[in-house]
Amino acid sequence: MSTTIDPPVATTAPPVQHTGRFGAVLNAVAPFAKIGMIVGGVLSVLGAFLPWVTFVLNEGAYPERASLNMFVEPFGVSGFRLHITLLGIAAIVIALLTVPAKHRIVRGLGIGVAAVALLNGIWITVEGGGLGAITAADGTIAFGAIVALIGGLVTVLAATSGGLEARPEWEWELPWWVEWILLLVIFALVLLLVAEVLTSGGQGGVVNPYAGVVFLSLLAALSGALSALSASGLLTWVGVVSERHRVFSVVVLLLCALALPFTGAGTEYWMTVASNIGVYAATAIGLNIVVGLAGLLDLGYVAFLGIGAFTAANLSGAAASAVGIHLPFLLVMVISAVVAGIFGAIVGSPTLRVRGDYLAIVTLAFGEIFVRSAQNNIAGLTGGANAIPNIPPVGVGGFQFNDSITIGALRLPSGVMYYVAIVLLVAFVMLVFGNLKNSRLGRAWIAIREDEDAASAMGIRTGPIKILAFLIGAMLAGLAGAFFAHKTAVVAYDSFRFLESVTLLAAVILGGMGTIPGAVLGASILFVLPEKLREFADYRLLLFGLALILIMRFRPQGIIADKHRKAELADDDPEDVAREGPGALPTEVK
Amino acid sequence: MSESTELPPELEAPPEEVKAELADDMHIATGTREPILEAAGVTMQFGGLRALNEVTMSLKEGEVIGLIGPNGAGKTTFFNCLTGLYTPTSGAVTLRGKPMPQDPSRVTEAGVARTFQNIRLFPSMTAMENVLVGRHVRMKQGPVSSLLHGPRFRRSEAEARDRAEKLLAFVGLTRFSEELARNLPYGDQRRLEIARALATDPSVLLLDEPTAGMNAQETEATRQLIFAIRDLGVSVVVIEHDTKFIFTLCDRVLVLVQGELLVEGTPDEVRGDPRVVEAYLGAPPEEIEAQLHTTEGES
Amino acid sequence: MSTFLSQIANGLMFGSLIALIAIGYTMVYGIITLINFAHGEIFMVGAYGGLATLTYWVPTAVVAQWYFALPIALVAGALVAMLVAIAMERFAYRPLRNAPRLAPLITALGVSVALQEAVRVFYPGATAAIPFPPLFLDGAFVIPIGDGVVIRYTGVLLIVVSLALAFALERFVERTRLGRAMRATSQDRDVARLMGIDPDRVIVLTFAIGGALAGVAGVLYGSYLNNINIDMGFQNGIFAFTAAVLGGIGNIRGAVVGGLVIGLVRALGGQYLPGGTAYDYVWIFVVLIIVLVFRPQGFFGESERVRA
Repeated sequence: MSTTIDPPVATTAPPVQHTGRFGAVLNAVAPFAKIGMIVGGVLSVLGAFLPWVTFVLNEGAYPERASLNMFVEPFGVSGFRLHITLLGIAAIVIALLTVPAKHRIVRGLGIGVAAVALLNGIWITVEGGGLGAITAADGTIAFGAIVALIGGLVTVLAATSGGLEARPEWEWELPWWVEWILLLVIFALVLLLVAEVLTSGGQGGVVNPYAGVVFLSLLAALSGALSALSASGLLTWVGVVSERHRVFSVVVLLLCALALPFTGAGTEYWMTVASNIGVYAATAIGLNIVVGLAGLLDLGYVAFLGIGAFTAANLSGAAASAVGIHLPFLLVMVISAVVAGIFGAIVGSPTLRVRGDYLAIVTLAFGEIFVRSAQNNIAGLTGGANAIPNIPPVGVGGFQFNDSITIGALRLPSGVMYYVAIVLLVAFVMLVFGNLKNSRLGRAWIAIREDEDAASAMGIRTGPIKILAFLIGAMLAGLAGAFFAHKTAVVAYDSFRFLESVTLLAAVILGGMGTIPGAVLGASILFVLPEKLREFADYRLLLFGLALILIMRFRPQGIIADKHRKAELADDDPEDVAREGPGALPTEVK
Repeated sequence: MSESTELPPELEAPPEEVKAELADDMHIATGTREPILEAAGVTMQFGGLRALNEVTMSLKEGEVIGLIGPNGAGKTTFFNCLTGLYTPTSGAVTLRGKPMPQDPSRVTEAGVARTFQNIRLFPSMTAMENVLVGRHVRMKQGPVSSLLHGPRFRRSEAEARDRAEKLLAFVGLTRFSEELARNLPYGDQRRLEIARALATDPSVLLLDEPTAGMNAQETEATRQLIFAIRDLGVSVVVIEHDTKFIFTLCDRVLVLVQGELLVEGTPDEVRGDPRVVEAYLGAPPEEIEAQLHTTEGES
Repeated sequence: MSTFLSQIANGLMFGSLIALIAIGYTMVYGIITLINFAHGEIFMVGAYGGLATLTYWVPTAVVAQWYFALPIALVAGALVAMLVAIAMERFAYRPLRNAPRLAPLITALGVSVALQEAVRVFYPGATAAIPFPPLFLDGAFVIPIGDGVVIRYTGVLLIVVSLALAFALERFVERTRLGRAMRATSQDRDVARLMGIDPDRVIVLTFAIGGALAGVAGVLYGSYLNNINIDMGFQNGIFAFTAAVLGGIGNIRGAVVGGLVIGLVRALGGQYLPGGTAYDYVWIFVVLIIVLVFRPQGFFGESERVRA
């Protein structure tokens, strides 16, 4: 519930009475909130400049851990100390200024500091062989991690005790060209940030064991900064502005996405990672139509990606394909989509009779039937255990999509064309989703999700409309599948198992059901993390399973919550509000 | 009408100009006052239980009919027969002489809209979107045009929005247009449900206990609203427990008792009928007489 | 003829195993209408629990005697599975008791993945299939029909133990006070609460019983096939769910019959339907879809139990 605060009227901190488990502590600290925030910020900055480990290259307690020296350089490779410094300084400055919602902002910054310090501290401890690595066990001074962590926690405590304000709503309106330039700058920054996040720590694996922690540390710092920005109401404001210039924003965002190869992420490796993310993002958006909009849980959805991929593989002219023809790529995409769509309609047809959990099981059964059939090389179409290898790359004229491109002095790595193609594909899929969501059809889907009987009483033919959701969702997955087949050059049944369906579902839920950015964000997180955390590859699925449980427990609506979606997943019974009667209305209504 | 409750501005009857515009848009009334919805000898048998026995009803254009009866009298069963949810064991339900379709969505398409006894809004959609869903059957917008958002799409979308705005104004919910349905106060949820039903351009509106759980003021507002709906040319059937509400609202009242149509007539006739009094409440007539004239709120 | 009878026998053995797992599915669904995807993993955990006990905590001399090893493994497997099931209910499902339907289902998927992976990561050697000691008389007897139908003793054990447990459980639910509380809770949790029944206790009990049965099934499975792997839970879990639906969800006797039917479909389908054993799983899924679409209340279901 947010209220409108007229900026820049200062909110003089009213005496807040805290209740709850920590109420007494918070009340005791409250008078010192401002000083506390400053002290916290100073401690954070101080911590950043203290040594973080007790040993350096080839000396000290753990010589075999020599490469840990990156934590000793002031602004070492990962830059985490720089991040802490920046967050700490920001906390001090904001604590001194009078800005709306300042306690909430500072709390976000404090959380960022604490998270970064904790993460790196744990990492050093683990890698350095024990707590001795971050304390001063051998007489040297090394407690940067501890000081920074304390700094972060003090900041959070002080800010919380000062009373968390409602998020302000800014209503600035600037001349259109100023807003355009602003949006341009913001989106360009987002692009650089994405490139930075994607490449941070470099490629994971044995070569670079720090990739994971560097990446996570950056994420922690970013989430601190973002939660501060969001607390300030600026993010919402940017959202409003970009909504005001919708077409412009969409075009600029698309251009920014296409510009990724020109940033630090412009290597073959990152292009491949980005393309894979794209495939799963497109598929996740398709699934989002079925699950997010129409509310039909599909546990075998990855089969449609598989059907699209196998269709494309068979029409690609690959030696192992059963159908010995080679059609143009665009035509192949269309055919793959249509084939997947037909299967989607078949899989969806039980919705005419089956609802809820049982439908989920039916889709699961279809998915398993697909995997089993593909494994047994059904009708010679799937290659079975041998897969369909050597699928030729997409070619236009003499140019092949996996060639590298040279424009003047600029040399773009191979895979760039695939990246461009997948960006366009994702953009198309987003367009489909967005347009459908805001149409008669989309409203009918949401209505069915909310109350099928009432929807039917509104004249909605629920049966055909539900099947249409399956059909369109499957077509989008089929498109992505056709792309996937050519990009990876091999299609094997193994890529379309139940676990992939669960992962896609998790991507949709993690990002936020029913929203486009949610599906993309979810897919990115779920497919970038394993890439970065190769060192933990063994624990990947374990963590994934635990994460699913925790998300459902603590944030079922996902990272980007759809206002429509909350009732389905969040623990909040619509009837409660109804029963409260008049006056239950939130304050934001004017 | 002894009622003179002062209504707060947001509960007042819809302004005349809104009514006029809507009546214009919906062009339902033909002014013929011919029967629209007819039930002839409807019998409904569940296993050994006869829930309805030979119930006959005829709803004329522009008429408001009330359906009352004690609990278990078969009101809801009858209602479900009218809306195609149940197929009568024998007898027939016809709309303008044609048999009623057997599928709720087609019934709506044919021009019969309904509300539910326990509010069945789409809780996570805004009030506006709820009403737009009601426009579903009247919108010309296929999957392809939904996808492309071409000029025809935009026209149909604009028309639908325009109508939805008028309907929200009609039920007095303009201020909540962008609010999620589940955040609306109880009485307003009921009004929104009516607006959503009206969005389907019905010639017949079936209201299932529209004043359940309402206070006197809200009940009065609902009465005004139903009068306004009738003025649009929509014929209305109301199921209610609140006899007083029915008697001051309806042109004709049907009393169902144990699946049988006991009495049918004008409110005055029904009110005076000793059989109703006895069967309906099963108590000495004088007491009931007094109650029927003074009951406030729940029966 | 003898092939046919052998397949019938195989089907019944596999089927009674599935029946034991299906009982847990059907009871949990009956009481909290949750498709507990993780139930298959409880079965798997039970097998590993039994194996761990035999491998690490019991002297080899004792394990060598089947009449010691069998009861120890069964009890250990049942206990481990039961504890995991109770923990799962307490920490994963209970907090979501009143959440919308999607949340617990997805949590169940998460629990399933997590349990499977936890065993893979933490159980020594679990990345591949692990040999499981025979826990019963090795060998078989032959019924002299045609070329002879070979029946393994372990198979007989499987059938006897499964049916005995199912029978005992049904008596328990029908006859005891706790059983009545379970039935009341499955009918209407709120009313049961008003009658002085603590639904939380009943639900824990349900998970415990279902878990114990799945644990027993896991150990029997190991001793029947002589090796176990971490994938055994998911696949057999789905079969068991199919069996539960087939028999009418919430119905213990139905689950047993459903399990036997599934066993027969698999054995006979693998023998006689096109595609052979490579497609035997497919036939089970086909049965599942057909049943869910055309008779979701199952063989023994009295009324429509389809959830909105």
